[in-house]
Amino acid sequence: MAIDAAVGTSATPSPKPPMIEAHGLVKRYGTHVAVDHLDLVVHDGEIFGILGPNGAGKTTTLEMLEGLRPPDEGTIRVAGFDPARSPNEVKRVVGVQLQSTSLFDYLTISELVALFAALYNADGSPERVTRLIDQVGLGEKRDARIDQLSGGQRQRVAIALALVNDPKVVFLDEPTTGLDPAARRTLWSTVQGIRDAGTTVVLTTHYMEEADVLCDRVAVMDRGKIVACDTPARLVDALAADATVRARVTGDLPMDDLRALPGALRVECISPGDRCEEITITTDDAQGTLVGLLALADRARVPLAGLTTRQATLEDVFLSMTGRAWEDEPTEAAPEQPTGRRGRRRGGKVG
Amino acid sequence: MRSIWAMTRANLKMSLRNRQALFWNLAFPALFILIFGAVFGRGLKIDINVGLIEPLNGYGEQVAAAMSSTSAFTVTRGSQEAELAALEAGTRSVVLAFPGPGDPPAATIYSGPMTDPNSAVAQSAVREVLLAASGSALPVTISAETVNAAQISFMDTFLPGILAMSLMNSGIIGLSTAFVNYRERGILRRIKVTPFPLTSFIFARVLSQVLMAVLQSVILVGMAWALFDFRPRGNLTVIFLTILIGALAFLAIGFAISGISPNAETAASYANLITFPMLFLSGIFFSMSNAPAWLQPITKVLPLPYLVEALRSVMTYGHGLSAIWIDLVVLLGVFAVAMVIAVRFFRWDSRSA
Repeated sequence: MAIDAAVGTSATPSPKPPMIEAHGLVKRYGTHVAVDHLDLVVHDGEIFGILGPNGAGKTTTLEMLEGLRPPDEGTIRVAGFDPARSPNEVKRVVGVQLQSTSLFDYLTISELVALFAALYNADGSPERVTRLIDQVGLGEKRDARIDQLSGGQRQRVAIALALVNDPKVVFLDEPTTGLDPAARRTLWSTVQGIRDAGTTVVLTTHYMEEADVLCDRVAVMDRGKIVACDTPARLVDALAADATVRARVTGDLPMDDLRALPGALRVECISPGDRCEEITITTDDAQGTLVGLLALADRARVPLAGLTTRQATLEDVFLSMTGRAWEDEPTEAAPEQPTGRRGRRRGGKVG
Repeated sequence: MRSIWAMTRANLKMSLRNRQALFWNLAFPALFILIFGAVFGRGLKIDINVGLIEPLNGYGEQVAAAMSSTSAFTVTRGSQEAELAALEAGTRSVVLAFPGPGDPPAATIYSGPMTDPNSAVAQSAVREVLLAASGSALPVTISAETVNAAQISFMDTFLPGILAMSLMNSGIIGLSTAFVNYRERGILRRIKVTPFPLTSFIFARVLSQVLMAVLQSVILVGMAWALFDFRPRGNLTVIFLTILIGALAFLAIGFAISGISPNAETAASYANLITFPMLFLSGIFFSMSNAPAWLQPITKVLPLPYLVEALRSVMTYGHGLSAIWIDLVVLLGVFAVAMVIAVRFFRWDSRSA
């Protein structure tokens, strides 16, 4: 099982030094090990996602990288600085959006951005404040007070604040949790804009789709460990099974014949009575399995109903790596888009 | 420096936009001034219009002389018809007639409806003068007492107490709830990941809190000035210094409470637990000199009575720094102790580290 999270760099060395390097990170809360000997490398200019269910240790990991929590063991370098030894240097080069941080309610967006610019001793001129607010798509709201904004708008304000010091790397902790799908998509394009402007982004999420669509590389985290780390496409490709075929059957199909279909790895059967009524075939050759299944049904004169195939997703990656089903709130339907748009910038390098 | 000033300005803006805090810090004490001022403020500032029906006999002249010698009475002489008409019109509180030669002394009191509290006060005051003028006691002694009562009005002693109350509320309740709120909502953690130091953050908060206290004082004093003729008697610098030290003592208590409270609910109950008894044991609404002996020591360990006393001493009686320095030292001591507790228990985070 691929546990080495630094796979990406060891295979193909990056021309630039990594933006973030962490080795052997451990954080314990009493007897509970929140983060368990974790290694990760984040490249300059990528969107790096940490995907995991609630309680996997994502936020703790992020907070150690940000310098908010000292690790019990391990080393961290962020843009060349050690957060434990040079917290102020790290604070100057990172931008942070904390999970569910609320902001000062009684200030307007402009006032809040200008205030944070002052706290960072950064340029807080009206022009720059306006530019930052435009960058997160809140231009027409700039004089609205924080308590008048929706959840998605507040998250975008939090991201504008994370950009106020022109950071080299931005940490976003579950930036889209609690947002409706439309607001989530708006936020994704904001995050992509940040990456396209040359800033490295590290984000946590428990949405499969978000990791899949938004991130250049994803670290799948479970119980304090990174169980897999690569581009979303390669993570899925690396699975033994890359698709499932499902159908309802109204007659008898011999199990042995089903198991012998081309590419079939596992056959499951739901049978309320004594007859197999719905079959699920996990396969690494969806086309072969499908053709074989149709021929089989034809020969046996058994009609097939509700025939579907589903491409494997990161959910299956999680299942295969941890042996457990994804326990979080159900994600939306798997994305319809082709995988080609993933890893647009770094796809060729990582591997 | 730029960042501290920006944070201070933001704090002030937020304070001025927070309606709930504004209510407790400004509207609430202002309401007290209005209500208590309306009920008691005018009543004690004695100004009684007395009409005397001519002709006056010897006793009548004696009463007239006694009344004229105090500022509490405004005396007018006139015919019976004219004076009774004025009484009906409300421009006289009481009208007196002196029938007969004046020996034995006799007087008739005409007054308006007894439902008017001013009329009752006027009648009893007039009766006292009548009695005094008829007996062997000199009317001068009475008039001397009346003069004193008229000079220090109800508002003169009430306002410094209310001012102290508002400083206490904005310091203890305002600051503790604001800070716990910032901590619970992760705002403090967000500040922590900026290069802005904790000391600067606290300093900016103290600075904005003190500026708000000054603004609050100016508004409350200005209101009492305009509506109830309140005039502070003491040196303005000493008054300012007292307000400043009082504000510091109470905001430090607020800080300490925010540090030791695990959440907003606890902070609110601690704050109320501290402010509520002080409100009634500090002589703001009634004097503690008549309170039972066992209560007296309690007032000596509460900070609010010291501020009330210092503010009264300066504002009401016009005393100088020498009269209140002990009070100020006590308040500074409270500030120091509370600040040590506040820094010791300060947490960025409501979760464990």
